[in-house]
Amino acid sequence: MESILRINNIEVKYHEVILVLKGVSIEVPEGGIVALLGANGAGKSTTLKAVSGLLKHEDGEVTDGSIEFMGERIDKLEAEEIAKRGIFQIIEGRRVFEHLTVEENLMVGAHLRSSGKKERLEMVYHYFPRLKEVRNVLAGFVSGGEQQMTVIGRALMAQPKLMLLDEPSMGLAPLLIKEIFDIITRLNKEEKIPILLVEQNVKLALTVAPYAYVMETGRIVMDDTAEKLKENPDIRDFYLGLTDVGQRKSFRQVKHYKRRKRWLT
Amino acid sequence: MQLFLLAIVTGIMVGSIYALVALGWCLIYKCSGVLNLAMGELTLIGAYVCLTFYTWGVPFILALVFTMVIGIILGFLTEHFFLRKLIGEPILTVIMVTVGLSFFFRGVVELIWGTDTRVFLPPVFPMKPIVWGPVIIGQVYLWSFIAAIILLIAFVSFFKYTRWGLSMQACADDEMAALSLGVSAKFVYAMAWAIAFMAAGVGGTLLGNINGLNISVGYLGLLVLPAVVLGGLNSVPGAIVGGIIIGILQNLSGAYLDQYFPGGVKEIAPFAFMVIVLLFLPYGLWGWERIERV
Repeated sequence: MESILRINNIEVKYHEVILVLKGVSIEVPEGGIVALLGANGAGKSTTLKAVSGLLKHEDGEVTDGSIEFMGERIDKLEAEEIAKRGIFQIIEGRRVFEHLTVEENLMVGAHLRSSGKKERLEMVYHYFPRLKEVRNVLAGFVSGGEQQMTVIGRALMAQPKLMLLDEPSMGLAPLLIKEIFDIITRLNKEEKIPILLVEQNVKLALTVAPYAYVMETGRIVMDDTAEKLKENPDIRDFYLGLTDVGQRKSFRQVKHYKRRKRWLT
Repeated sequence: MQLFLLAIVTGIMVGSIYALVALGWCLIYKCSGVLNLAMGELTLIGAYVCLTFYTWGVPFILALVFTMVIGIILGFLTEHFFLRKLIGEPILTVIMVTVGLSFFFRGVVELIWGTDTRVFLPPVFPMKPIVWGPVIIGQVYLWSFIAAIILLIAFVSFFKYTRWGLSMQACADDEMAALSLGVSAKFVYAMAWAIAFMAAGVGGTLLGNINGLNISVGYLGLLVLPAVVLGGLNSVPGAIVGGIIIGILQNLSGAYLDQYFPGGVKEIAPFAFMVIVLLFLPYGLWGWERIERV
């Protein structure tokens, strides 16, 4: 299948000295969902910011490699320019505009594409019926789940050609997480929006995304289809917390450290 | 009683001009977190530009429109040359730059227009006062009030209903998230400065019509501070109400306290009031309280 986004071996530095990404390559196929997994500080969010251009806002820079979106290089462009081409990042941590109402939040999402925003607003309410109920409430006061729906809906208003989704499950109740992930899958299927998904919740991410990459300290250490990753003994051990027998992992096993070392270097 | 009514009515009318300038001030603060200490000088420049057009024989309304257009241009230029490079620098640095700008603008004004008091000649508004029962008021005040209210409504609806207005508010709330949606932060700042210049210019012009125009009109910029503090630094309605309250307060203290404390109690009262308000309402009337969900 044709790739819509191709990240070729990029290197990212913050403040010109701190090397955060050391050669990351990722491909997102047209209309697909790809998950990017890894522990805290592995560089997942930085990868997304490199794609969306928000990196420059934090004094970071892509110093090597290239990012291509629909065949064109975008790694030197400004964030607004990248947004104009249709890449929208949903920043982690439910960053709603607290002092605007939910509906106004959605309207800001339509900033770049004002034509047909009434229909798209209806579409967002179709996927997130709950948002319609709280449309006139200040976004700072709605529940965490509704805030997450607001930020996803806000990106939908922009008619994204690629959505970068950063930890949509953060700090939400399990049932809500399931609801939101169902909607994400539907968006991908029905609206044909390709999604690059960053997640800590590996089990969940692997059920949604058919293909996934695993990151450790700024490098991609593994990539495969979700089925194969689920079977991989290291993934089962380190990320899913299962031993071969299917029981919870015991940290008494010294073996743990030996094995980890093997695939890190 | 007549004195009281007169003070209140005059206060509201002058206050609406303060409100206009306060709105411009509050906008810059809201969008970029910068206390703009050059606001008074913006009013000066606007007022002198309008005066120049007027003395060239341009009808007053048209002169006012030109002033606003030039205000927009100056706003964009100021942002582009002095402030754009400072995006991402500490806020205090930017505030110090606005102090520098205020000296610079003041110097430019003195250089071009001199330091003598100038008046709008022939007078823009008829001199004949209007009499409403016990209240007698100059037409200048009434028309200034109307002009200020029209502009205030225009600005407020701009924020509420237009695409760029919403984006400006979004940018004030969370710059990073706004950026991720393709809102250009640079353009938002430029627009905030342009609107501030515009509002200040009109405010300065109206005030110059009332008292005549000299460098002291620039102190209006300082007076705006208690107005916005009272309203809550980042609330647009707060700035408007704050401006009007400060206007009323100033005139009331002028009417009643001047006989006990002669010599300029009118100028000090707003600041004394500001200190008291801050003691009891640290966020002002409608300032953003930190939203915390429980």
